[in-house]
Amino acid sequence: MTEREKPNGLALSHMWVAMITFLVAAFLGLYQVLERAEYIPAWAEGYYTSVTAHGVIMAYVLTTFFIVGFGYYCASSSLKRPIWSPGLAWGGFLMMLVGVLLVVYAIVTGQGTVLYTFYPPLTAHWTFYVGAALLVVGSIAWIIIMIVMPIRWKRENPGQPLPLIMFTTTANALLWGWTLVGVALEVVFQLIPLSVGWIDSVDVGLAKTLFAWTLHPIVYFWLIPAYQAFYMLVPRVAGGRLFSDEMARVAFIMLLVFSLPIGMHHLYVDPFQAAGWKLFHAFGTFMVAVPTLITGFTVLAGLELAGRLRGGKGLFGWIRTLPWDEPMLVATALALLMLTAGGFGGMINASYGMNTMVHNTMWVPAHFHLIFAGTTIIMYFAIAYHLWPKMTGRELFSKSLAVKQLWVWFIGMLILTIPWHYVGLLGMPRRTALMPYDPVYVDPWKSTLFAMAIGGVVLAVSAVMLIYNLVMTQVNRAREADRELKFAEPIHPVLSLPAPLNGFTLWNSIILIYMIAGWGYPIAQFFVMNTQNALPWGW
Amino acid sequence: MHIDPLERTWVVVVGLLTAMMLGVIFYTAWSGDIHPPSNVEVIDSTRLHLTEEFAEDNLGARTQPDGSVRVAMVATRYGFYPQHIEVPVDTPITFRFATPDSLHGLHIPGTNVDTMVIPGFVSEVNTVLQNTGTFPMYCNEYCGLGHHDMWSRVTITPKQG
Amino acid sequence: MKRRSLALIPIVATLVGGAAAGPSSQVAWDRDTLQLLASGDAVRGQQLSGQCASCHGSEGTSPSPNWPSLAGQLPTYLYKQLRDYKDGKRQDALMSALVGDRSDQDMADLAAYYASLPLPPGKPGGDETATLLAEMGDGPRLIPACNSCHGRSGQGNRVLKRDVATMPALTGQFPAYLEKTMLDYKSGKRENDVYRRMRAITGQLTEAEIKSLAAYYGTLAQ
Repeated sequence: MTEREKPNGLALSHMWVAMITFLVAAFLGLYQVLERAEYIPAWAEGYYTSVTAHGVIMAYVLTTFFIVGFGYYCASSSLKRPIWSPGLAWGGFLMMLVGVLLVVYAIVTGQGTVLYTFYPPLTAHWTFYVGAALLVVGSIAWIIIMIVMPIRWKRENPGQPLPLIMFTTTANALLWGWTLVGVALEVVFQLIPLSVGWIDSVDVGLAKTLFAWTLHPIVYFWLIPAYQAFYMLVPRVAGGRLFSDEMARVAFIMLLVFSLPIGMHHLYVDPFQAAGWKLFHAFGTFMVAVPTLITGFTVLAGLELAGRLRGGKGLFGWIRTLPWDEPMLVATALALLMLTAGGFGGMINASYGMNTMVHNTMWVPAHFHLIFAGTTIIMYFAIAYHLWPKMTGRELFSKSLAVKQLWVWFIGMLILTIPWHYVGLLGMPRRTALMPYDPVYVDPWKSTLFAMAIGGVVLAVSAVMLIYNLVMTQVNRAREADRELKFAEPIHPVLSLPAPLNGFTLWNSIILIYMIAGWGYPIAQFFVMNTQNALPWGW
Repeated sequence: MHIDPLERTWVVVVGLLTAMMLGVIFYTAWSGDIHPPSNVEVIDSTRLHLTEEFAEDNLGARTQPDGSVRVAMVATRYGFYPQHIEVPVDTPITFRFATPDSLHGLHIPGTNVDTMVIPGFVSEVNTVLQNTGTFPMYCNEYCGLGHHDMWSRVTITPKQG
Repeated sequence: MKRRSLALIPIVATLVGGAAAGPSSQVAWDRDTLQLLASGDAVRGQQLSGQCASCHGSEGTSPSPNWPSLAGQLPTYLYKQLRDYKDGKRQDALMSALVGDRSDQDMADLAAYYASLPLPPGKPGGDETATLLAEMGDGPRLIPACNSCHGRSGQGNRVLKRDVATMPALTGQFPAYLEKTMLDYKSGKRENDVYRRMRAITGQLTEAEIKSLAAYYGTLAQ
């Protein structure tokens, strides 16, 4: 395949949108911690607008653009062919971009200060919801391409195992397809009609339930590229092998199946859903720990193998021999540390009984900043450092700056989130511009605000380091010699696979049944019960 | 298809770990009857002040014939009404909340009183409060530009007699 | 609940006492009310407004601090006040007599007419006390920032056209009128604020603060 046939421009366009918006959102985050720590004048509307934009960008824009771009590049590299239907891919890109611009319009004109949670009866300007819908619809083009490409490849290579990176990318596309249905139903049938004025009221219970459908699996959609890097890029960079191709497939399949009907743990303290359904979803939530723990093992085993191949001896001697000047490796080690800490906090959130103690306190953002802004995003950084030279044909501007940037991000994230866990347990609420409550409660919380502000500054510095490095790479004169994206080979080559490990027909059927079991009645009840709708409220 | 023996052992360990965590969750839910607030009860929020339970004059805490306490409160932008309630310590309490406007959350830090208040539904929290003192009850779900101003006080008084 | 027996003595007296008098307002922000308001006909409202003009001004801008300006006020708020006068929830002999024979549609039309007029010009502003209360409120006294409900610059709490917007615009009034209104809430003379929200807030405000706030929001010259 020639360079012209690779989706360099397509992937790069997606990823630049992700990175530029990320830089903006990082500074919005800095503004929020400074506002909350009272180092700059309190301004409630500014704070809530910033939370809205920070959340929308980090959670929806950065992730979707990055994952789609990464997916195109992986598909093309592993199947060694151009992207199927580039017109569709570019159409999807434009649609997503227009969607983002519409959302930005609503936010910057002060007509979308509803946070990023899509909870009516707070109702934003219609451009906010139409923009969100276009972002989702544009990404469906990617889902279609990620399904069509492996099907065509398998037809031409009967009986051959689909390359693992393609298999897992398709798994993520399917996961996203299943995930987006909830929020799509909410936006199309409830929020757009409400904001435009086609309907005059909205069932808030149904809206929150549909949003919860999307709300949790979406984080695995964000996480899967990090896992893909763990399995297929890290061992390669470290000079080792993938421990097991088959087990990797099992882990991704479990992630796909178990992560879907678990969103009700976001509704633990909501009325309108009976306790039994919450317990059902608590079960699924904990089952996701299984593929995560398997991944932890495989990554460490792959790294140990690499360390020993490089001459490491003894119980821990192999750690020293790993190439610690490689951004990919540094990111992985830091990501695993943050995944462990964040995963622990997540189990508290997910606990059916303990959740009420920490629900909507600072504990929750502490958890998801470790798992998402820590684990997931730091791997996105490493992937960016790995792919930018291959996509642009220019050498990475500075490897050592990249490694420093990853460490700075890690340190900033710890400074930010460790105090958040602490004040979360003390009951400090999240997402409040000010804390005018009695000083006897607020004063102990405030002791941590200084650390929070420092963390915000450190993270913003790291974000600038990242973008600077990527821009300098883009304009670098030095040519990149190796433009092939290569993936780790398993220790035991995979010659043949049972059909369930090489395709998704069986798993889609199981998901369908599991989803009907997990969400069927909780959604149907709103059509059976005599629920009272709410009218649209501003803010 | 190839699975390493070491990997197989680890999968078994992971399975046992997960089963243990789930066991703890299910056992405590069952043995201690510990459940998150999950009251499925509809109400016409738009006419809340015209209903009997959430009429202005009927809000607040009331002792029931069996000695338990029942509290009716309205969460509305920007406050919980009545703005100051007193409830006894070590007594079964049923809190009932409704909202006529936006969605709200509420939490009394240091207790397990935490529920969303959603238009169209009545939220209910059953609890026994264990420490005396005056606590804030604050909104913990964004409900509008005055969200942070939405709070009230709960005084937990020593048990009488 | 019928009459309370002795065993059902309320444990709590809240910040406000006062005799049980039923709901503070019969107006509910339900679909019917909002549809009625949406059907408000400003042209017909103008025809009906002849009687109103002597106090509230021919263009809805009051000539005297005794009476409020109505121009640019939210139709939801105007309608609710008319209904409350009619239902006896807001006391004023003259207004009660004037709205006595008005239909719901008349009130919706009048609300639509006055809402369609421009809010009298002028931006809120004043001393430090008022600015702090308006923008930040006062946490320990459970006073939310006035602007949280009354709009970013006192123009009423409607953000988008479709919002249920129930809190009135404060700008476009005489300071003396705003002061009188707050004092009426404070003394309990006016009590058509559902769930006693304004009575609770004004109960916490000193008379000096009320005067400052009235000067802050009042934009009509005395």
